[in-house]
Amino acid sequence: MSGYFDELTARLREAGVPASRIAVTVDDLRAYLADSGGDPEEEFGPAAAFAEQLAATAGQEAGEAASGERWTWTADIFTDQQRLNEFGEQGWEVQGIDRLGRFVCTRSEEHPQRWEYRREVVSPVGRDALTERLAPEGWEPCGTWFCYAYYKRPKAALVGPEAEIASPPPQPGRRIFFSPALYGFAAVYFVVALVLALTVLPLVQGAAGDDEPGTLVGMVVGAASSLVVFGGAVGVAFLVRRRRRRR
Amino acid sequence: MTADRRASWLKGVLDLLVLASLSEGESYGYEIAKTLADAGLGQIKGGTLYPVLNRLEEAGLLATEFRAAERGPGRRYYRLTEEGRRTLEEEGARWLAFDESVRAVLTKGRSR
Repeated sequence: MSGYFDELTARLREAGVPASRIAVTVDDLRAYLADSGGDPEEEFGPAAAFAEQLAATAGQEAGEAASGERWTWTADIFTDQQRLNEFGEQGWEVQGIDRLGRFVCTRSEEHPQRWEYRREVVSPVGRDALTERLAPEGWEPCGTWFCYAYYKRPKAALVGPEAEIASPPPQPGRRIFFSPALYGFAAVYFVVALVLALTVLPLVQGAAGDDEPGTLVGMVVGAASSLVVFGGAVGVAFLVRRRRRRR
Repeated sequence: MTADRRASWLKGVLDLLVLASLSEGESYGYEIAKTLADAGLGQIKGGTLYPVLNRLEEAGLLATEFRAAERGPGRRYYRLTEEGRRTLEEEGARWLAFDESVRAVLTKGRSR
């Protein structure tokens, strides 16, 4: 693992990224791997290509917040909007979503101001039209994650100078915010998968004993389909619930 | 490097550009940014534009009015005050004089 990060550090240094920024980035990535337990090359891709991408992001952010704070964090889909608005009230502006799905934020040191956020479900084809529709109200795109598009708006668009924060709270100590709903969803999914497996496995074994490959395949496909359908149903229910809440 | 240089040029003159974009009448954030983008100044994001609008408002160079909309939360409209119009004339003339000096030196340097 250290070989990967040594190469990444060297490449970022060659690209002109400041040493302090490299240290923070590498610490972030190491912390992420410690949580996920993954391999760096599998998670981030080849070090050279990843360094190129990180250097480009660093350059862009340097122009946007030359003298500001930077903070990267993540949350699950059940709580991300609530957290975004909570941290937006503290002056955190999302500059983008990195390839790990984390919100990359900055906060101005001179004039921190409040931000608000919204998340929309949209296909890549419809994204530009949605952005165009929201723009007159002051919403700007600030990142995408699968079918989700995130938008930000300075509170100043509505309240003017009152949006500026006189003394912002310190940067949060945490970087990961998972909600109880996520754990509940995972638990229910696990239980259903387990019940299906326990129900289907004896049938599969019986079918194998009968030497009927067609029945065996059918049962396995059926079990897999049930899992997919269940996951899809929960997902659709979740989206419908969100849309109803927006109305 | 080029993008950084443009950003610092813009930083020095954005308040005047905002005042100038309101010289023909009131407008709101998105329209002001669009006017500047259409003039070739690039996309001015909300995080850059609104702090400038706030400073101009607090300095008494802009007056604002919030109007509710049929759909959405409404908009904050900006217009020049008399002081804003005077500042635009005075500071705009200074910038143009500065621009003329820069232009003369750069033109001379390039023709050598």
